[in-house]
Amino acid sequence: MGGAERTARKRRQEIAAKRAVAAARQAKSDRNKVIITVVVLVVVAAAVIVGVVISNSQKNKTADAAIPTKSVTLSSGVTAKRDGATVLVGKDTAKTTVDVYEDFLCPVCGNFESTYAQQLEQKVNDGTIKINYHLVNLLNDRSDPVGYSTDSANAALCVADAAPDKFMAFHASLYGTQPEEGARGYDKNQLIKLAQDLGVNSPTLSSCVNGGSYNQAVSDAYQKARTDPALAQEVGGQTGFGTPTVLVNNKLADWQDPKWMDALVSQS
Amino acid sequence: MLDGVGTVARLGLAAVWFVSGGIKASDLNQTYIAVQAYDVLPSGVVSVVASAVPFLELALGLLLLLGLGTRLVAVLSAVVLLAFIAAISQAWARGLSIDCGCFGGGGQVAAGQTAYLQEILRDIGFLVLAGWLIVRPRSLFGLDGWLTGRPAAVVGKE
Repeated sequence: MGGAERTARKRRQEIAAKRAVAAARQAKSDRNKVIITVVVLVVVAAAVIVGVVISNSQKNKTADAAIPTKSVTLSSGVTAKRDGATVLVGKDTAKTTVDVYEDFLCPVCGNFESTYAQQLEQKVNDGTIKINYHLVNLLNDRSDPVGYSTDSANAALCVADAAPDKFMAFHASLYGTQPEEGARGYDKNQLIKLAQDLGVNSPTLSSCVNGGSYNQAVSDAYQKARTDPALAQEVGGQTGFGTPTVLVNNKLADWQDPKWMDALVSQS
Repeated sequence: MLDGVGTVARLGLAAVWFVSGGIKASDLNQTYIAVQAYDVLPSGVVSVVASAVPFLELALGLLLLLGLGTRLVAVLSAVVLLAFIAAISQAWARGLSIDCGCFGGGGQVAAGQTAYLQEILRDIGFLVLAGWLIVRPRSLFGLDGWLTGRPAAVVGKE
């Protein structure tokens, strides 16, 4: 066996060995690529599932819970009368009329109520003012599922029909534990339960709430308010209708300024 | 040099997903309102999309940061970005007045306060990062290079 032949064979063996190593490395690399692809898809799928689970647990806080009741004491002579999507609360003799446009989902309406509800109730009770509550569904697509604005406004109007003396308490209760925008509102059963807890015993209430008797009236009231130039206000550089909108004797009031309440005294 | 560009693209896109996903995940109610405002999906689907998107973005950000499956993650990123661009474009074309909610916020805005063009251009910028990584996913400091044994990283005996 010549030296040249040996060298050639050795070289062939080395080449074969290198190829085997490269092939093994390639196989390992390919296998790792498959594993990486699977891991990526699993991570992405897991993220989506975790997201839905977290979101559901955060958003459904209002599920299966009774809405806490708030009572409102009204003095004798104070009545609540529904007309369309508006409820007029007060004594007939009150000279000053306050109009409030509200959506039960609207957080700023919640601020307005928590700040002024007690003072307004007092002025209603002492006969200084009467309040027109205009229930609109501006934020109807901002609950998840959509529709809380309409359902809650309809239910409040149903209560105003079935038990006028309970309207203010129903209204106060919904603002007292207000659902968050973008989250679950209260469903119809919870709204009916709240009315019952407040002592509304009318047999027609549940059919009124479930059937959405005043849904159309609420939507119409919103469309009317939205296009009414007398209700347009400038908010953030944009002029338009928003909630809450407050009027005193048909004039827009800047309720963010606490002095607006003074007008309720001086005009009475 | 090109690996350096790839690294910047990878980490840059990771940062984008972390920031946008993080803001969205921290206010899921607002994210729902933002998705709802596009007015394209049925309401049940809006809820799922609004829940999934923030965490999908965080997952893409994490995978890019790790440099794991970079090309595939870049493809997924491009798909998500194209979906965003399509959603913004349809809102623009239909004359809706919304904020894209790309980095939090979202929902209806005043008619004069839309910024559709800027929002789309920004997304196209992110799309360029994803595009680079699809064409040339190699970069430094990533798990891909380590796991798939690209030549430079392999220590072999000859």
